[in-house]
Amino acid sequence: MTGADAAHIAMGIPMTLGLTAGAFAIGSVLGFPVMLARSTGFLPLRVAVIAVIAFVRALPPILWVFLIYFGLGSGLLNLSPFVAALSAFGLIAAVNMAEIYRGGMLSISSGQWEAARALNLSRVSTWTDIMIPQMTRVALPPSATYVIGLMKDSAIASTIGVTELAYRGKQMSQITFEGLSAFAVVGVCYIALSLPVAWIARTAEKKLRAKVAR
Amino acid sequence: MHRQWNLSVIDSPRPVVKLEHVSKRYGAFDVLKDINLSVLPGDVLAIIGPSGSGKSTLLRCINWLEPANSGIISVGDVTIRCEEVPEKSRLTALRRQLGMVFQSFNLFPHMTVLRNISLAQERTLGRSRKEADAISLNLLDRVGLADKAYQYPVRCSGGQQQRIAIARALALDPKVMLFDEPTSALDPELGLEVLAVMRELAGSGMTMIVVTHEMGFAENVSEHTMIMAEGEILEYGPSREVIRNPKTERARRFLRAVNDR
Ligand SMILES: Nc1ncnc2c1ncn2[C@@H]1O[C@H](COP(=O)(O)OP(=O)(O)OP(=O)(O)O)[C@@H](O)[C@H]1O
Ligand SMILES: [Mg+2]
Repeated sequence: MTGADAAHIAMGIPMTLGLTAGAFAIGSVLGFPVMLARSTGFLPLRVAVIAVIAFVRALPPILWVFLIYFGLGSGLLNLSPFVAALSAFGLIAAVNMAEIYRGGMLSISSGQWEAARALNLSRVSTWTDIMIPQMTRVALPPSATYVIGLMKDSAIASTIGVTELAYRGKQMSQITFEGLSAFAVVGVCYIALSLPVAWIARTAEKKLRAKVAR
Repeated sequence: MHRQWNLSVIDSPRPVVKLEHVSKRYGAFDVLKDINLSVLPGDVLAIIGPSGSGKSTLLRCINWLEPANSGIISVGDVTIRCEEVPEKSRLTALRRQLGMVFQSFNLFPHMTVLRNISLAQERTLGRSRKEADAISLNLLDRVGLADKAYQYPVRCSGGQQQRIAIARALALDPKVMLFDEPTSALDPELGLEVLAVMRELAGSGMTMIVVTHEMGFAENVSEHTMIMAEGEILEYGPSREVIRNPKTERARRFLRAVNDR
């Protein structure tokens, strides 16, 4: 396998990165309202959301990718493989981030909600000044773990032809008949992508911790 | 003579907190049964009674942390009929006059002590950061913690945290301070420093309603003491009278149990 072959594989990085970051961004944003709905006092909504979360998590990611690409994508909408994969992983990320946020919220003592109410803080201020900063702190380590898992899962998108790392690795192994070295390059690329994420998460967490313990 | 009589009617102070026929149920369980209570400006009222008698619930109903089921709650010029769902603006007006101190302090752990005290001043009273911080520093000085302004709450002892919580409530200029067992989570020694702050506050003329197990505070600091049991007011009157000569057998039993400890 030549350097050019390795470079061809590495050119899948933007796709893997885009799919992961995009799905994570969708999940991070949508996860918040899902978490709120999951925690609402309005029982029918809560039950419905709990059911949806369980349903989304019950199916393997590859099935969601197929369902959206071949199901939605064939008849109603004309979805590109990338958009279909992004939608599937965005959906999965949303329910998982909702649960991560919920863990963050549960870590905040009920006394703080009461204190905020007794101090007459508005709902917006209670969230932005009190709850979200603390939730972020608790949610950060599991989010980092999750985003790395998401990146590895994104290899599934190769099955519908998204030209990300795994897809290109497979392509190259078929061209060169050097499966081992092709997938070794793929592996190195994944490691190179996940190390910075782990490092950023650890540094951020340390910083936040230091702040509270000062 | 006639004139004087008229004046005295005008001068007679209006209660700053008034509860009329307030009741609260959890399911089929009556936590508060037809509570009537008046607290005059400057009064310090101690509420004592056995566990589960509804003391905390009573305090929490006054500032609507817990909605009461029936009756009328008045604080200052805000009156709430408990059967109706009050508008947000009325709740805000009600709570603006009330400061609350909790047994477990409930400081915000991700903010410095100073920020804990300044935040609500900025958000609810519209004070600038500078104004708010100046007021906070003043209050920290008053509770003896000026040196803690830039620390985080975890670095403060329980007694210090409770004094910070008191400063945080005072910073919003409440008419009445509500205390729910402010010293129960503290070692006796740390409790003393909190009690000293409360005593100073009472001396400064603050109206206070204090749920407590500290009989010394009830007897020596508060003008009035109320004994509750099973959601009812057993005894109410000048503290010394209530504590030394309770009229009901139930109250005598409770006070004996407290004294035997
Ligand atoms: N959210 C709730 N749901 C159901 N019952 C409750 C709730 N909160 C309190 N109670 C019940 O109401 C009763 C009064 O509670 P409350 O906390 O007011 O008592 P208390 O006098 O403050 O007791 P303590 O001295 O232990 O603090 C208790 O029997 C308690 O179990
Ligand atoms: Mg209580």
